[in-house]
Amino acid sequence: MNFEPEGEAAMSSNQEPGMRSYVGIVIGLMIIVVIEVILTYQHLPTRTLLYSLLCLACVEAFVGIMYLMHVKYETPLLFWTIFPSTLFVLVLLNYIWPDAYRMARMSLVK
Amino acid sequence: MNQPILAIRTGHEGTGHEVLMERSPYAIDKKKLGMWIFIVSDACTFATFLFGYGYMRVGNQNWGTPFAFPTILNGILMTFVLLSSSLTMLAAVRATQAGQKASANKWLGATMLLGAIFAALHLREWFKLISEGWRLFYNPTGGAAQFGACFFSVTGLHLTHVVSGVIALAFIARGYNQGRYDESHVETAGLYWHFVDLVWMFVFPLMYLMNAQTK
Repeated sequence: MNFEPEGEAAMSSNQEPGMRSYVGIVIGLMIIVVIEVILTYQHLPTRTLLYSLLCLACVEAFVGIMYLMHVKYETPLLFWTIFPSTLFVLVLLNYIWPDAYRMARMSLVK
Repeated sequence: MNQPILAIRTGHEGTGHEVLMERSPYAIDKKKLGMWIFIVSDACTFATFLFGYGYMRVGNQNWGTPFAFPTILNGILMTFVLLSSSLTMLAAVRATQAGQKASANKWLGATMLLGAIFAALHLREWFKLISEGWRLFYNPTGGAAQFGACFFSVTGLHLTHVVSGVIALAFIARGYNQGRYDESHVETAGLYWHFVDLVWMFVFPLMYLMNAQTK
């Protein structure tokens, strides 16, 4: 009978980066945070600033999920299970915006 | 092709009560898979809070940008502390995988300490805002009254996660030292810690930077 060890060490791949790479990734994330702060004080239009900050936050989240949370080194099925389902919920949440703009228009009509 | 059915270790080997199970399609430990399912659901919870904040903000013409630079500076410091704690958590996981108990304890302790520093900085910010008159439904600057509710609920939810993470790490570290938990428990706790860190990557720009005084 073929006994398979259940421990995580036996299941995950051995291609994970070393601590030096992790230090580089975290420093990279800190640099993105600094870029976000610099952008904030550039007097950009609110919408431009929002999209810029959201794009940078998504880059940070993607790097963090893939490298710090090791999704890159797991089976691709894990990635394809997590991402589409979460994105689906996030897309559905956008149904609220028409009503938010309706409220904004109502507040302008006095 | 189909994977062969394997016997998973259950502690009943050789007793005739082995359990036949298929290999996990995700090829990860069941604790880790459970944590991933929790993370996906928790990400949706945070997303709902942030979308709610966005709804309030878009729908309110009188929102305002009340945060002066010292508040933003505190936020930057908190972000760096949390990112550093992710690094110490990675070091802790590495040490447990290498069987280096003393090193693992050191890095787990550093992670808990950084988490506690983050919580202290956060609470300092909260008390400062409360002393300035901010309440859940009162804005002392005359802007939208919902600002306090959005800020305190989103950052409070995140702070609860950080404090819970520090407590969970303390339990995991204790169990690891006593031999009750192994490296997979530490790695699973690490997943949660990194998730809390990544959520802050959205909370900081949306709750702090988008509300910064830039004039």
